Amino acid sequence: MSTDKPDRGQIQSRNEPFTARTATRICEETPSTENPYLSQACRYHGYELGELMRKRSFVDVLFLLLRGELPTPDQGRLFETLLIGLSNPGPRHAATRAAMNAGVGKTDPAHILPIALSVLGGNHLGGGEVTAAMAFLRRQRNKDPQVVATERLAACERPAEGDWRAAPGFGSRFGGIDPQPLSMAEQLQTLPGAGEALHWGSRFAEALKAEQGGWLLPAVAAVVFLDLGFHPRAGAGLFQIAAAPGLLAHGLELANQPRTAMPFPDDDHYFIEVAL
Amino acid sequence: MTSGSTLWDKRRGIIRSRKGGWVIGRGGYISGYSLLDDLVGKVTYFQSLILNITGELPSDSVGRWGEALYQCMSFPDSRIWCNQVGALGGTLRASSAAGITAGILASDSRMYGPGTISLVHGFLSKGLAEYADGKDASQTIRNWVGNKRKQVSIPGYGRPLATGDERVVAMERVSKELALVVGPCLRFAYTVEQHMQEIQGESMNLAAYGTAIMLDFGWTLPQIQQVYAIVVTSGVAACYSEAYDNPPESFLPLRCEDIEYRGHAPRPVPAAGEEGG
Repeated sequence: MSTDKPDRGQIQSRNEPFTARTATRICEETPSTENPYLSQACRYHGYELGELMRKRSFVDVLFLLLRGELPTPDQGRLFETLLIGLSNPGPRHAATRAAMNAGVGKTDPAHILPIALSVLGGNHLGGGEVTAAMAFLRRQRNKDPQVVATERLAACERPAEGDWRAAPGFGSRFGGIDPQPLSMAEQLQTLPGAGEALHWGSRFAEALKAEQGGWLLPAVAAVVFLDLGFHPRAGAGLFQIAAAPGLLAHGLELANQPRTAMPFPDDDHYFIEVAL
Repeated sequence: MTSGSTLWDKRRGIIRSRKGGWVIGRGGYISGYSLLDDLVGKVTYFQSLILNITGELPSDSVGRWGEALYQCMSFPDSRIWCNQVGALGGTLRASSAAGITAGILASDSRMYGPGTISLVHGFLSKGLAEYADGKDASQTIRNWVGNKRKQVSIPGYGRPLATGDERVVAMERVSKELALVVGPCLRFAYTVEQHMQEIQGESMNLAAYGTAIMLDFGWTLPQIQQVYAIVVTSGVAACYSEAYDNPPESFLPLRCEDIEYRGHAPRPVPAAGEEGG
């Protein structure tokens, strides 16, 4: 193997053809006649903002912004039902606890949500896992879920301690089957907007049951997002938007309480396992 | 309760740390060192940072090398994506912590910055293993790219905006001054660079150079990512600072006409319950 450094030429600009103006298909702002920096009217995908405010729900507009069209009634119902289901990861979830820590730690309240959402972006039970689950489901959905489950169970590594995944969004939680996402998926399946991905995921989760595995929340989100036509790229952010109300509420609940309002393990419960 | 609950029950209400902590009345400890007695004023901040991540106190040379790497990523140019995020935070008067960390978060990118490290590491570590099995670098490059792609794109070779990477040249000088020995991963990285120069005209970028050396230090991928995580801080801080020092919303302001709308033509909003538009 050579140890010679190659002869490098001059540093030169690539002169990439950057656009002169950013383009968007989402939002059209009509400039004020008085001031070109101010807009006097605004349309989202062709719909005038004031008219959207009068006629449609926030959930419809969220769908519109990300998909480019308003949802059908069945899509809207499915989307809203999921968003309610995801609206609060609960006070034991690490993202919520991050919000609560920020709150009780007297962090600027403006930071509570970004802090919690950053934690919620992770690859374990977070937005990263939603995206991975969507990619997995897109690759596998033409195959028999029972067959895929058998293959994945045979291949997946089971750690000596801790949880396992047969696929992103499917596996064990605290060593067992998480009942909440299971019941959420069952409820969503009864809706007329439920689609192929949700049904495929249910059969896949069912096939993991004997091994104490099943639905995890990111996969429930993933299948519905796919059935609603969202790209995996949107999965993490949608999951974050959905959870934002609960994260913020838990953080704010502690923001005006004393710092003793959350446990701070005493020295008898904090062990430094290296010689001092 | 399942057998799997044992792990969680053992840790419930208890924190066990091999990193260290604060013993109230005695002081703070990092991996067995007293922070205030053994480290403060005696080793650099960067040595402490690496100690906190790896559990090993690195030499002064390694600490200075890490600091130089960070300096190389400190261009105060607000056109650069992460820096611009910092500037936008400054112009909207986000707090300094929010504006600067937003810029740092932006650098967690597939195109540049810390977000590229896993791909660079994957290529270099796989290639080094293949080299040990007798393959040469050109074969590793071919395997990585595959036969279908015409454009040869290898993580860690080439960079946005410009050809070549003057930061690598600066770091080579620093490494020489610090008498850091060229290890097997960096030698492999140079061999790949020779091939990339010949077939694509691309040279090694700072991420590949830094990752190769950190691999030669014996650090794992997570450790390398953690050391590199906030590498853009200085440049972002500069751009945040400059925007903050100017009137709000005066950083690169846009008129309505500066955004090109290419979307749907105006249309009426259907009432809720009707089919979507």
